Formats: sequence, C-alpha cells, structure tokens
Amino acid sequence: MSAAPLQPPAGEDPERHGYAALVSLGCLLVFGGVGFAAGGASQPPRTRSIHVVAHQYGYEPQVIHVNRGDTVRLTFSSSDVTHGFYLEGYDLDVTIHPLLPTVDLRHPSQPGKVEQVKEVTFTASREGKFRFRCSHTCGFLHPFMLGELIVGPNRLLPASMGMLLGLVLGGLLGLAIQGRRSKA
Amino acid sequence: MSALPHAAPAPQPTPGPKVRSGRIDLFLRFPRLRWLAERRWFQFAVVLPNLGLFLLFLSAGLFGTPVGNRNIIIVFVWILWWFLLISALVPFTSRIWCTVCPFPFFGEWAQRRALVQVRAVDPKKKKGGPGVVIGRNRYFGKNLKWPKALSNIWLQNIGFLALCTFSALFLTRPIVSVIVLGSLFVIATVLHLVYRQRTFCSYVCPVSGFLSLFSMASMTEVRPRDLDVCQTCTDKGCLAGSDKGWGCPWLIYPSKLERNNYCGLCMECVKACPHGNMTVNLRPFLSDGWLKGYDESYKAFIMLSLALAYSVIYLGPWAFLKDWANIAEKHDWAGFFTYAGALWALALVVLPGTYYLVVRLGRSLAGAPAGTTAPPTKDVFLGFAHPLVPLGLLAWVAFSFPLMLVNGSYILQVLSDPFGWGWDLFHTAHVAWTPVVPWWTPYIQVALLLTGLFFALRSGARHARRLFPGGARALRAFAPVALLLGGIVAGFFTLYVG
Repeated sequence: MSAAPLQPPAGEDPERHGYAALVSLGCLLVFGGVGFAAGGASQPPRTRSIHVVAHQYGYEPQVIHVNRGDTVRLTFSSSDVTHGFYLEGYDLDVTIHPLLPTVDLRHPSQPGKVEQVKEVTFTASREGKFRFRCSHTCGFLHPFMLGELIVGPNRLLPASMGMLLGLVLGGLLGLAIQGRRSKA
Repeated sequence: MSALPHAAPAPQPTPGPKVRSGRIDLFLRFPRLRWLAERRWFQFAVVLPNLGLFLLFLSAGLFGTPVGNRNIIIVFVWILWWFLLISALVPFTSRIWCTVCPFPFFGEWAQRRALVQVRAVDPKKKKGGPGVVIGRNRYFGKNLKWPKALSNIWLQNIGFLALCTFSALFLTRPIVSVIVLGSLFVIATVLHLVYRQRTFCSYVCPVSGFLSLFSMASMTEVRPRDLDVCQTCTDKGCLAGSDKGWGCPWLIYPSKLERNNYCGLCMECVKACPHGNMTVNLRPFLSDGWLKGYDESYKAFIMLSLALAYSVIYLGPWAFLKDWANIAEKHDWAGFFTYAGALWALALVVLPGTYYLVVRLGRSLAGAPAGTTAPPTKDVFLGFAHPLVPLGLLAWVAFSFPLMLVNGSYILQVLSDPFGWGWDLFHTAHVAWTPVVPWWTPYIQVALLLTGLFFALRSGARHARRLFPGGARALRAFAPVALLLGGIVAGFFTLYVG
C-alpha cells in the first residue's frame, strides 16, 4: 500500500503538540473532577445478608452490590469441591468446604490464625469495585474464578468516564486550535 | 565448515551527530553496548540460557504436575513471560524478545551449520562448494523463497487468533502448553530447513505478528546513523552479509529501516556494516507512525478484540463464559462454538466493519475542497487504524497487570518446586498465595487505558492533519473515529471499574 510515511504537515510547529497535550490534560482533569463530584451520594447504611454459592469456576451471586457503611453478613456453601473466597481490600480469606456447615476464616494480615465460623461479617468501609477470588486451588481455571463486590457510590467509574470524555474533547479541541493556528 | 576469521579491525562509528530528532544514539552514549552487539557470540550467549530454560519448561510440562498454577511452564510462560513481554520488553525495547527467542535456534543452526561464526564467501568464488550462496554468505538447506502471496502477516493474524481461541486450554494445562511451545520449535526448525533465513519469524510465528505491530510503539530502534553513508555505500554488507555478519536474516534492508515492525534486533547489520553506521537509538514512544497494509491493521483489530474478550472472560465474574471457553473440561460444544464464533466475528468483522463505517463517515464529513478529491478510503482507513497500536498495547498491559499482581506469588512457589513434585529448592515453595495490592488494580487500569487513548488520539490527529489539510476538515474527519476510540475505552472502563 500506499500511505506515505508520516511527516508533519509543512509549517507545523512541533511545540503545538505540547500545547495540544496541555489542552487534553486540562479537559481530562476538569471532566474527571466533574464526574467524580457527580458520582452519586452515599446511602444510609443497612445490614445485608447474602448467601454465596461457590462452584467451578464462579460464584452465585457473581456480583454483590452494597453501599459504603453497610454491614455485610456472608454465608457460604460449595456445590462441588473446596473453594476459597479471598476478598480484595477487606483482609478476608475464607475456605469453603462442600459438606461442612462452617467455613475457615483467615485474615491475611494475621497469618496463621484460622477461625471456624458459620457467618462472616464485615463493614463495607471502602467504596469501589473489589474482586473476590478463589484462594484454594480447585481445578484448571482456578486462577480465573472470581466475582465482584461493588461498594457504592463507585465514584471511580464516573470519574474515569469524565476523564475519558475530557480527553476526547480535549484532543478534538487541540486539533481545531492547531488547524486555526496553521491557517493564521 | 570453516568460517572466515575476523581479520579486519572493527569499523569506527561514523562521526556524528547526525542523529534523527528526538533520538539518543545508545552506541555513542554507551560504547560498551556497541562492543557487545558487535561480538559474534552475543546472540548465541543470550539465546543459550533461554533455550535451557524453555527445555526445562517443556520437561516440567511433560513430567510435572498437571495443576497449572503449580507448574513452572504455566507460571513462568503465561504469567511472568507474558507480563514482562507486553508490559516492559515491547514498549521499551522493541523486539528484544526475538534476539533471545529460542524457537529458531535449531533451525538456524542447521541452516548456517554454525552457532557463532559467519560463513562468508569470496564474491569472486561464489560457484561451487556445499550449500547455497546468498549475498556473501553460505547457507544450507533448501533456502526456497517464501511465496509472495504469503509475504505479509495474514498467516500470523489467523494463526494467533486460532491459538488464542484455545487460550483456556494452554493457559491452564501444562501438557497443552508443551504442545503449543513444542510445535513452535518443530515448525520453526522445519521452515528454516526449507525456506531462507528467518522466514518462520517474519511470516509464520504467531508471537512475531503482534510483536511486529506493537514494536512500532517501542522506545528503542535499530537504524542507520547517517543515511548519507548508506546512500554512498556500495558494499551493502547489512543486506548481503560480510565476513563479520550474516546478511539481514529478517530479509529486510536495514539501511532503509523506517519502522521497527520487521526488525528482530539480531544485530547482524551492526556487525556486517563496513562503516559502523548501524546503531541502536532511544526514541519517543510511538515513533513509527503508519501502518502499511490491511494485514497490519487487522492485527491491530485482532489484538484489541482479544484484549476485550479476555477481559470479559478471564477478569469478569461470568462463570458461564469461562465454561464456554473451557471446552476440554466442560465439553459444552454449543457454548464453545458460540464463544469462538463471537470472538472471530468481533475480531474479523464487527470491529473492523464498525471502524470502516466510522472512517467512511469521517471522510464524508470532511469533504473535499472544490477541484480536489478526498484521499482514498484505504489511506484514511490505514491512517486512522494506527491509533489502535498504542490503544491495543496499553489495553493488553491493562489486562495483564492484574494477572501479575494477583498471581505473582505463584512465581516464588514454582521457583522452588518447578515440577510440583514437593521440592523446596529455595525455601519459597510454601509461600502463601498473596495478591499484591489488588485494590489498586482498577486505578492502574484506568491510568493505562487513558494513556493509550491519549497516544491514540494524538496519532489520529496527526493522520487527520496529514490526510485532510486544513483544521476544520481534519477535525470533521477525525471526530467520529475519536468518539469510537473513546467508546471502546468506555467499554473497558465498564468492565474494569463499573
């Protein structure tokens, strides 16, 4: 094919690339900030009881939605083999045995300490998206067995979308400004 | 069997500075690097340990535990190697993997009948003797020319997509990884015996295909230092070979290198150039600014589609999708064909088709000044497909990062017990599985994708100005593509942080 090697158009000032980048960065920050601010208000805390069923290679429910400040009470069962439930960001690691009414609860920050419990309770103190993963080798796709805990308001999503929109609009704005300067 | 000795002293580098703008000549800055690249034993010395490692991996796959995360072939190849390759080697050091790659080792040995030396031929005595003389070097084997119709990366595109369709198998089963990696050794060796030089690497190797695409973004390049020297050079040692180096094994003309795509960083041109004019430059990210054909643009679509599909399957919570991909265990053939069909349709039809329509829309919106015609659609399509290079690369880094952060502790385990036989060589076999700051993952992924989008938009804007001179036309042409690029990243955001 045919497309000629890319050269800057005649008369183009390379410094304008820096100018365009600054425009993009400015828009990214402004729109990201707006997205974060508009990301939703906190809801009053409540208690949520959820039963999690682990199986090769997933969980039911696969996504758990709670709000920041909620007390989350989890019970577990496994429909096939022994599984784990390692919750990112919450210092919880549970081993779920298929035939036992209790689970083994560990806190990774306190290695060696194991409790047998029927229910795991924690407060959803950090907002955002946290994955829970199987921590007990359970089969071929074990490393990819996971689910999601979404603690609202998940402001990272609207902030990210805002930054994305800012970047696109900033890029186009930079292109328009460069075109005008070239003409001038 | 004898090779010509290194009789003449090493050529001194051409006087500088004629370095291209934004480049740092690493051979001038670090002369020891040049010294190293000029040693005949250099590539052998870096490939040999790597070959040993891969033979260890193959042995572990054959004789070790079938549990993937306890076997070194899975953990080192698909977690550590992949992460290093996509996150560090390609973005910073171009195709340095090809320098150390063990797959062509046996084939190239058979082809050259030499591990280190060069088989140089006196130009006046080309006839006679064993093997085939190409340029000023003697080769063994058939040395056929690769068919012109296949002299592109379509085979690599289809091969890579086909291989990746079965990723749930080779990512998790040591024996399947042995079959995949072992096949690469066998195919590379056979093709080296039949076709000339690095035909396998240039046109067949599935890894080479995406390395060629993403090396365009790399911050390292091999280039001639002074183009004037190349233009007046009558020797063309970089192409024809010499008593110091083989003619470019990748069948390219090093003195006319303008892109990284098909340069395997073997350093033969550095050795063979009689003027010491070939060098390694450090350069800005994404310095190679254009795609040459639909085969390259399709590689970009395939890579982006795979990053998206893998993010859904391997980083998403949907167990039924993992079951569909996991055909060897779940035997859900309807599900597997649905998954495979959707993946191929996305990579080969939906994404390229949508992109094409959006590019056509932009081209129509831009119009053409009176008395002129708009640039050909193919040029616009390939120009606006270039932004997919940085976006695809950063999307792959964003996908690979959590795999490393979460599964990195398996590396310590298999280091002590590579076969899963209960060894504890370095007292790390019983290190607990510990994800490393996994809650940072969404923030890292957002930052990576925004970086990719930034470079994609910058690339698109440059092509828009090139193809549609005049600010308003460039803006109208690129706006639909920019929105589509933003939409793709929004899809990734929804998966990663939504």
